[in-house]
Amino acid sequence: MVGFTRRGFLGTAATLSAPALIRPAWAADTVKLGCLFSSSGTMANIEGRLNYVVRMAADGLNAKGGVNGRRIEVVTSDPASDWPLYAQIGRQMLQQEKVAALFGCWTSVSRKSVLPVVEQNDGLLFYPLHFEGDENSKNVVYVNSPPASSVLPAVDYLMGAEGVGAKRFFMVGSDYVWPRTINKQLKAYWTSKGVPETAWREEYVPLGFSNFQTLVNQIRSFAAQPGGQPIVVLTVVGSSIPDFLREFANQGIRATDVPILGLDMVEADLEGLDTAPLVGHLNCWAYLQAAKAEANTTFLSEWAAYVKAKGVPFSADTVIDPMVSAYDSVQLWALAAAKAGSFDVPEVRKAFPGLRFADPSGYTLTMGGENNYVARGVFIGSVNEKQGFDILWQSPDAPKPVPFSPYG
Amino acid sequence: MAEGPGRFGLVALLLWAASLVASPALAAGAPLDRGAFTTALCGDGAVQGTAVEGILHASAEAESGDVAWAGTVLRALLERRLTCLGGSALLLDRAGAADGRDAATGAVRPVAGGRAPVLGLRQRALAETASGAASLLTGSGVAARRAGLATLERRITSVPEALLLRAASAETDPGLKVSLAALAQSAALSSADPARRLGAIRAVSESPSGAAFSRLSALKADPAYGSDPAFRGTLDAALARVARAVSIGDGLAVLYNGLSFASILFMAAAGLAIIFGLMGVINLAQGEFIMIGAYATYGVQEAFRRLAPPAWLDAYLLAAIPVAFLAAAGVGIAIEALILRHLYRRPLMSLLATWAVSLLLINGVRVAVGSQNLQFAMPPYVSGGVPLYADFVVTWNRLFAIAFAAVTLVLTLVILKRTPLGLDIRAVTQNRDMAACLGIRTRRVDRLAFGFGSGLAGLAGVALCPIYSVNPGMGATFIVDSFMVVVLGGVGTVVGTLVAALGIGGANVLIEPLYGAVAAKVIVLAGIILFLQRRPEGLFAVRRRR
Amino acid sequence: MSGALDLSPGVPAARRPGPSLGGDPLLAGLVGLVLATALALVLLQPAPYLVNLVGQLAAFAILAVSLDLVWGYLGILSLGHGLFFAIGGYVCAMHLLAHAYAVTGTPPDLMQFMGWKSLPVYWTGLTSAPYALALALGLTAAVAFVFGLASFRSRVNGVYFSIISQALVYVAMLLMFRNDTGLGGNNGMTGFSRLFGWPMGAPGVVTGLAVATLLCLAAVLVGARVLVASPLGRRMLACRDDEARLRTLGYGTTRLKLGIWCLSAVIAALAGLLYVPQVGIINPRVLSPDLSIEIAVWVAIGGLGRLGGAVIGAVAVNALKFWLSAAMPEAWPFILSGLVLVVVLGLPNGLLDLAALRLKPTWLRRAGSRP
Repeated sequence: MVGFTRRGFLGTAATLSAPALIRPAWAADTVKLGCLFSSSGTMANIEGRLNYVVRMAADGLNAKGGVNGRRIEVVTSDPASDWPLYAQIGRQMLQQEKVAALFGCWTSVSRKSVLPVVEQNDGLLFYPLHFEGDENSKNVVYVNSPPASSVLPAVDYLMGAEGVGAKRFFMVGSDYVWPRTINKQLKAYWTSKGVPETAWREEYVPLGFSNFQTLVNQIRSFAAQPGGQPIVVLTVVGSSIPDFLREFANQGIRATDVPILGLDMVEADLEGLDTAPLVGHLNCWAYLQAAKAEANTTFLSEWAAYVKAKGVPFSADTVIDPMVSAYDSVQLWALAAAKAGSFDVPEVRKAFPGLRFADPSGYTLTMGGENNYVARGVFIGSVNEKQGFDILWQSPDAPKPVPFSPYG
Repeated sequence: MAEGPGRFGLVALLLWAASLVASPALAAGAPLDRGAFTTALCGDGAVQGTAVEGILHASAEAESGDVAWAGTVLRALLERRLTCLGGSALLLDRAGAADGRDAATGAVRPVAGGRAPVLGLRQRALAETASGAASLLTGSGVAARRAGLATLERRITSVPEALLLRAASAETDPGLKVSLAALAQSAALSSADPARRLGAIRAVSESPSGAAFSRLSALKADPAYGSDPAFRGTLDAALARVARAVSIGDGLAVLYNGLSFASILFMAAAGLAIIFGLMGVINLAQGEFIMIGAYATYGVQEAFRRLAPPAWLDAYLLAAIPVAFLAAAGVGIAIEALILRHLYRRPLMSLLATWAVSLLLINGVRVAVGSQNLQFAMPPYVSGGVPLYADFVVTWNRLFAIAFAAVTLVLTLVILKRTPLGLDIRAVTQNRDMAACLGIRTRRVDRLAFGFGSGLAGLAGVALCPIYSVNPGMGATFIVDSFMVVVLGGVGTVVGTLVAALGIGGANVLIEPLYGAVAAKVIVLAGIILFLQRRPEGLFAVRRRR
Repeated sequence: MSGALDLSPGVPAARRPGPSLGGDPLLAGLVGLVLATALALVLLQPAPYLVNLVGQLAAFAILAVSLDLVWGYLGILSLGHGLFFAIGGYVCAMHLLAHAYAVTGTPPDLMQFMGWKSLPVYWTGLTSAPYALALALGLTAAVAFVFGLASFRSRVNGVYFSIISQALVYVAMLLMFRNDTGLGGNNGMTGFSRLFGWPMGAPGVVTGLAVATLLCLAAVLVGARVLVASPLGRRMLACRDDEARLRTLGYGTTRLKLGIWCLSAVIAALAGLLYVPQVGIINPRVLSPDLSIEIAVWVAIGGLGRLGGAVIGAVAVNALKFWLSAAMPEAWPFILSGLVLVVVLGLPNGLLDLAALRLKPTWLRRAGSRP
């Protein structure tokens, strides 16, 4: 662990009088990147691995001579899944460590917590998660897809003849902003398609909820009603996902009866579950581990080797979308910094339009000038027996990101 | 791979043509063109769908050899053991094997470079039905044929009647024959023959469910409903019957859900009730004893995996019961001896101490084992469920928890009421000083009771393994709920705890469908807080002198 | 309800140095230190993030003092003080958003994701800071009054009170996590851009907030000291040590407890008010039962029943947390739980016992020999 805060504390006296004294001697030939991913608390299991991905990406760039002739140094931290602490550490990173860019946050609330900090300090935050959209700060690069360019194509697929011709929708979500916004946009989308309001139902559960018996009962009786093929749009998060899936399978509903589209479901959520009765349920991300691309093969083997070499406490053969997005973030930053020939945030930002990067998903990521979003492909994955996802469908190209949804 | 029409257009068109040629050939009862069929399975979604639908319809007449073969190929496809290589398909013994047998010729070839097609949901449903039909028609055992029939029942609307009739005529097992006849009868809902339709309506109402209700309701739009009084009468009676059965089933489901939630609450709270009643100690680490019980269960499973014959693995959950009890009780006794013993006169400090212990246990386990969910191989007696009546499904894992809670209750009562230890515990709970004067070693009683209470939490851990995810933080979710149960029930009474658990569980389940899960929890907890403000001693207060 | 269950922990006051204002050099020293720190922040202008950190620690210290007042001096352990902290914080956040909206005309994120065209009716008037302050403190006092009245009248006390207050804060958390409650759900409120018209995050504003918090802390300490040293304070101690006897002697304990309880809640709300603009976010996590227990932990570690102890505990634990959660994230929970166990088992007066170890060994020996 890099003890920047320790230095901050032990060096309080020095800082008070002469901040310049503690500047490290090697500052001239390195450039710092900061990570804001929790390695303890509720988010630790999924968020923690992104620290290592950023380091791995930086190591890769350093091996090729760094950026603009400087070596990259990655500063990590542990905001401990405590939202105010994200802002606190972000502030220290920008003011004290003078990092060139921040990579971090998983939940929307942590991003919202850091947002004012990066705006006040004119920093740059690369955010690797998909989220509810409706935001476009000049100080944040949204590396994953907004719902209008990822969720809607997936729902379209399920409604089409190639999917299941879905006519009715049961939305189950954790009770917070992301599920509510997604569902709001979906409802507006269905209305625009002429789906009647009676064809959907919406239920929310508290975060961390686990007793899904009654809800699955309700889904079964919803499914039994006439009106066409029902599907479940699942936006519960965290430990609720496996608990929901287990109850769903135990009550004897198969994907071929009522498929679940799990918008936040990743391989890690299937750990500890018998997935045989769950085969066929769907998720939707901008990257799936099964993506067929040379860059993916390279990435997977690079990660496996990195885990082995550094003793990383995460699975060597599980790679999830946010990991690849974090990796892409570092690459995009490096490309922009190289193009700008500078690490200054305004210069780097000017270099964003026109960036292109072929990432592990097999699509070429591009950044347009209109917003700070990155165009990504869309994958629909199908749960298999081995607690992973097979690729059922993927978009022909990377759709242009639409941060502000026209629906809702 | 993308199955876009652009890239595969030409190939798809060719395969489409091939399947068109294949289907009529099948329908005439001629031998199946196996090569064309496997080629079609390697095609895009539309081609796959047409081919599988074709084989489903052809199964009513095709040669049984062909049907059995198609079943094998479809099962391989469903399990992703079918690999497309060049123009042919290879069947693998298991997914990821290096070699496979050619589906059409049986020749063994390496699979390298092949592609295992992923089934779309529509195609998966068709393939399941068709492979179910194949098992029903050609399965060698009664069990296999019954499983096939169960698959067809789920999707009865897409099954051709001829297929059921063929199966019924060929069936040798009398029980299965009756089921088949009933199913065939109910498949005739849209038959042109009025008598058969009435029979079908009655047959459908024999096995009531929400889906059956929808199917029957759809018939109300039929012109016969207006013109034919017999039809109308039969349909109305059937609908009424189904509706009644469905509402009874739903009522049973509410009872069952309430009971199972109450069981979980009871198990989490039973140990607390004893500890709190006896010593006045707020044990905030109780949730972590549940977690220890669950981890002990995991340990037993791993031990079985390494040491016992594979056939015994399913028994690990039962073998874990004493282990989990002893593990949690051991940790509990150690904590009592090391920490709580010094804090009996300072209950609020013991509260903080147990909080620190819970933090220690959570993080200790997190560092030692990791924060991911543990992987359990669930034995058949705790996975899946059985439809009991109408839409009421009894899920085995919940039934396991209910039974477990019942046994826990009986055991606790027996120990408290029928053993010397229980007598001591009751005596100390009611009047500690007098008990001490009578020569009861109250400290020893405390320690044993604390161990017993912790052990009960460990047992809850075993029962929760099949229901919830097991990770270091799992216990934290129970703590507020179980304290509410204890305080509402009245300190020191197991019966009070039981009644409170039933009440809270039932109230949650009843409110949830009306106002949602969040509001249900809020309403129930707020209600308890209000109640306790009026009656702090809870529902059943133990009389005691202090 | 008496006997073993609701015996307050800590050392009976009679065995401690007398509670006169001049008789507490520790507290006087602390108040001096707090004021000196405030002065140093203004004069030396250290890095803004450090200033911010000091401000946050001071807010936590106020929170700890508020709990110490009811727990240490009245024997009521509230495991729901996070509720009052949160009320202060939420009202402050609402004011900041409403004010920034009025000044800049940019609608806050909250309106966007809640789908509001304008702020709902219960935000009316929150653009005014005095109204917001009055609302925060008034609402807190009202909630505390209702809950306290119901509990104290039915003689709910000791661990029962702790459990029920914990359930209360838990219910509040569930309620605030709901989106439909209308206060931002899990995302809470963030993106405060203005404070009294000044841009948030400007060094002057950061320093101003920290200094204001330090001054509030000093004022709260002095005020609390005056209170506990007064005859009322003696009655509080009497009530803590034997409520039944005090009641028999003809003192109305319900009124006493209710008054102090509401005062404590209002101080906690003040801490929340000062905390939120400094961290820039409020979210239902402040209502999690764990945070409320942690407040009790700060007090116990610092030294229960000593106002200075609460400050020392809050500052020490949080400073350690800020430092270690970056420097040694794995070790922090172990250190915290170890610290609690050591204090609970070996140092009944918290870290202050360590000081006493050097200063007054005889007194410690006497305290240690208690049954």
